[in-house]
Amino acid sequence: MNKRIVYCVLGFHAVVALLAPLLPLAPTDKQDPGAMLQGFSAAHWLGTDALGRDVLSRALHGGRPSLVIALLATALSAIIGVALGSLAALAGGWIDEALARLIDFLLAAPTLILLLLIASFFGHDPFILSVTLGLMYAAPIARVARGSTQVLLARDFVRVARLQGGRGINLLFGEVLPNVWRVVLTEIAMQFTWIILAFSSLSFLGLGASPPTPEWGLMIAEARSYMTINPLSVITPIVMLASLVLAVQALVDRE
Amino acid sequence: MKNLARRVLFTLGAFVSLAVLSFLGIDALPGDGCTALLGRFGTDAKIAECREENQLTDPVVVRLGNWANDVVHGDLGYSIKRDEQVAQIILPRIRNTAMLAVVAALMAFPSAIVAGLLIGRYPQSRIGKAINTLGVVAMTLPEFVIATILWLVFSIWIPIFPGVTVVPSNATVLELLPHIWMPALTLAAVVFAHSMRTMKAGVTTIQTMPFVESARLRGTKERVTLLRHILPAALPPVVNTIAVDAAWLLTGTFVTEAVFNYRGLGRLAIDAISDRDTAVILPIILFGLGVYLTMSLIADMVVRLLDPRLKQQRS
Repeated sequence: MNKRIVYCVLGFHAVVALLAPLLPLAPTDKQDPGAMLQGFSAAHWLGTDALGRDVLSRALHGGRPSLVIALLATALSAIIGVALGSLAALAGGWIDEALARLIDFLLAAPTLILLLLIASFFGHDPFILSVTLGLMYAAPIARVARGSTQVLLARDFVRVARLQGGRGINLLFGEVLPNVWRVVLTEIAMQFTWIILAFSSLSFLGLGASPPTPEWGLMIAEARSYMTINPLSVITPIVMLASLVLAVQALVDRE
Repeated sequence: MKNLARRVLFTLGAFVSLAVLSFLGIDALPGDGCTALLGRFGTDAKIAECREENQLTDPVVVRLGNWANDVVHGDLGYSIKRDEQVAQIILPRIRNTAMLAVVAALMAFPSAIVAGLLIGRYPQSRIGKAINTLGVVAMTLPEFVIATILWLVFSIWIPIFPGVTVVPSNATVLELLPHIWMPALTLAAVVFAHSMRTMKAGVTTIQTMPFVESARLRGTKERVTLLRHILPAALPPVVNTIAVDAAWLLTGTFVTEAVFNYRGLGRLAIDAISDRDTAVILPIILFGLGVYLTMSLIADMVVRLLDPRLKQQRS
């Protein structure tokens, strides 16, 4: 995909997510019983849903819950993953072996069912969901960080730094992280989209964002029953979610 | 051989420890079978009585021991909420999910290998590029979006397939078959690009290698080069991808089954979770763990068989 289009789409989503409350849009939860499931009109550019709420306004607000959670969770998983992975590789020996097994072990954990369980038992608290997602998605980042640190440790400039007395934290921040960062960042961006998808899937199943919050997954779930009457209220959130996720992927994917 | 034994041991160890962790984790969640059964109408006395009846008052270590003993002897336990043996509930669901997984796998994997081979060999082809892009888009989007799009297209705009499954969980295979296509198509669309891209990447690197060059210089027909030289060399990494995806098809289909109301294991898991029926959730988790670990073990062994270099190392 063309890089310029990708940046435009990402910019659009960033602006919309930040400024949605300031834009001159209809309130997201204002119901209009006289105008349910309408198509395009001057009053509602992208029509209305089954409760007569403005689809455009809800679609533009709908990314905010997932983005907040995804940013928090990704930050957490990046910190834990990079720390775990690079420290394992730096330490070497049995510590590395033990941490590597721990990462394998975490990768085998059934992510989705755990997420469903926690979401179901601890409710819709966004903070708990972010922490859970962050912990779950740390393992793949840790694996990549460990792998790329190992490759780096064999390079001459790191060996020189070690011989000059570079140890532990200094070596990590001075030599390893600045060079590992790019590879790991790609993995982190991938995780970011997975987390958005996981959260919107949860919302779709009724375990993420709770009504009447405008959220893409939830909007798709709500509008699905009325798809024959008004496909627009399903297609709009699908286009929003798809464009965001595909743009992030296209940015990451250097094929 | 020693390596393989270590691998099996690690798998077993991981399974047992994850199983124990799952038991303890689920035990730590608020609520148990009795609160699930009696719901908000249960008085403290009634809940206590029910717990007494079902031996839920024992300390957690004792219950863990009993449970492990039962599972080893093939008894998956009893759902207080559903008043049924868990095995009775789960087995038909496993059959349904397995059927769905097989149909989806037959749709996705053979075509992905062929597509990957051809796209890798002829990267300039427009059809190839289109298939590649479509596959990547399908891989990136969440299942419920793909399912909704497919539903919109194939059940509403061009009504070929029924959208929602209305058959009971113990329907016969023939009754189930008409309802399997849409969820299977969704799952196939999600996994298709993984193996296709692995195959394509393999073919791209392999076709410039000396042994392919030499086959070409010997005057080998293009078709033979492709099938006898490139394909076998590109296959091992694809086996790994397919194993991971197959495990996912058997254990990760919650969302797709929920969308189409297909009565498989994923649908059961969601129901059990919203009912707080922990007796049913636990075996589903164990099944998932077992499938995932077994699949990665099988993949390792198949890769060894397919790759002669690894075979030599083994002996």
